[in-house]
Amino acid sequence: MAARRALKAVLVDLNGTLHVEDAAVPGAQEALKRLRGTSVTVRFVTNTTKESKQDLLERLKKLEFDISEDEIFTSLTAARNLVEQKQVRPMLLVDDRALPDFKGIQTSDPNAVVIGLAPEHFHYQILNQAFRLLLDGAPLIAIHKARYYKRKDGLALGPGPFVTALEYATDTQATVVGKPEKTFFLEALRGTGCEPEEAVMIGDDCRDDVGGAQNVGMLGILVKTGKYRAADEEKINPPPYLTCESFPHAVDHILQHLL
Amino acid sequence: MAAWSERLAGVRGVLLDISGVLLDGGKDGGVPIPGSVEALARLKRSQLKVRFCTNESQVSRKDLVGLLRHMGFDISEGEVTSPAPAACLVLKERGLRPHLLVSDGVRSEFHRIDTSKPNCVVIADAGESFSYQNVNKAFQVLMELENPVLISLGKGRYYKQTSGLMLDVGAYMKALEYACGIEAQVVGKPAPEFFQSALREMGLEAHEAIMIGDDIVGDVGGAQSCGMRAVQVRTGKFRPSDEHHPEVKADGHLGARGWAGSLQSRHVTTGIQQPAHRVLLTQRTGVPCPVCAGATKG
Repeated sequence: MAARRALKAVLVDLNGTLHVEDAAVPGAQEALKRLRGTSVTVRFVTNTTKESKQDLLERLKKLEFDISEDEIFTSLTAARNLVEQKQVRPMLLVDDRALPDFKGIQTSDPNAVVIGLAPEHFHYQILNQAFRLLLDGAPLIAIHKARYYKRKDGLALGPGPFVTALEYATDTQATVVGKPEKTFFLEALRGTGCEPEEAVMIGDDCRDDVGGAQNVGMLGILVKTGKYRAADEEKINPPPYLTCESFPHAVDHILQHLL
Repeated sequence: MAAWSERLAGVRGVLLDISGVLLDGGKDGGVPIPGSVEALARLKRSQLKVRFCTNESQVSRKDLVGLLRHMGFDISEGEVTSPAPAACLVLKERGLRPHLLVSDGVRSEFHRIDTSKPNCVVIADAGESFSYQNVNKAFQVLMELENPVLISLGKGRYYKQTSGLMLDVGAYMKALEYACGIEAQVVGKPAPEFFQSALREMGLEAHEAIMIGDDIVGDVGGAQSCGMRAVQVRTGKFRPSDEHHPEVKADGHLGARGWAGSLQSRHVTTGIQQPAHRVLLTQRTGVPCPVCAGATKG
């Protein structure tokens, strides 16, 4: 790693890394302050399909994290950026709680489809409407392609199966915008003036956080909190740059070895 | 491409798709494709054997045939190969008890099947019944099984209704495959066993039969990979891009008015003495018509 440039940016995952559901990871607030005491830029990156930035911010404030809205980059932000870049009017198949992140986007007479996790919209008629738009050439933008998630009443289908259904029916490929896509990490760095080689990503998901970041040239640090399960670090090759107990340990490593 | 007469040499029977060839489905059962009632009647007066090979899985075979007869088609239940009865045979053979992700209209096909303590999922074109809750229930059943078995009645991408194109069972089959990391077993077109069972009923070899359908992959590709010949109609779900499909090349396409239109052209008179494979040119359009062979007396 002799060719690595000096560290300029740190990307941090939220749920599972800074906090687990409604509890902060012990020592995480102080660790974040220590990190902010250096010259690095900090960004918070997360795959979310239903929580708007505002929702995330409120939860983080409640947990006494010192974070501002413009430091947060989510898969919804990435979808919005792509919609703006392509100058399209999306049919939004997203949870109502995510709608604030698309405020100001023209959605009448749609010519694109943005699909997140929205069980209440995943009915035949609505999916068929999306299908017809795609058949007419509208692009399909997927927040992410998770297969399923855990609900109180058991496993439940994520957006991935419905994205796959539309892809198959129309013989097209969705553009996926969330982690672990390369563009997600590059977009998250946009405006920081940093190259991937000057950044490190900290997260609890070995494939999506660490693997994804390392694929674009960042260093990846896996923390053993949140969804981490024993031997997760063996799931990717090359392995994580570092695996450590929790976010505070990751920060200590950065302060001692990367700056 | 070779002349029609060459391409159709030795054809002794016709397998007809239903939706998109005979009718476009829709409200109150849909509407017959113009001219198709008469065309079928002519075909049946010929020496060619006729059988129907459909992936219809939203209504029972009985109701489908009732609807077609009501529209004036000469068709009986015994002439129809459809996936629900075929699936019932598979379920019985393998001792499978299905959770049914199907529409209410086709449930009667499964009334002799044990559905308690399901050890597989059968998915059909459930239409409006493809709610998140229903698809999720099927997903949960599959995830509970040690060896998840998913049986799909066809795997079509979409089909045509009078109101426009509609998502078909294949899309939802793919959703469950992706969610569970499994591969479904298809009963219906384009599974070779399905075409073969239709051929058995007709007493024909694959090279003696021709498939007529509106689905370039499911009908044309499926039949061809069984050794049959297959033509695509330009009705139903047909889209112009199908004629340049990257993987499937039909043995012919039937004009804008479809196979039925071709059959109605002036030259086709039921009294002409011609071997079935001798194909006549349509005087009106100059386009050769492959099924007019079916309207000639051999």
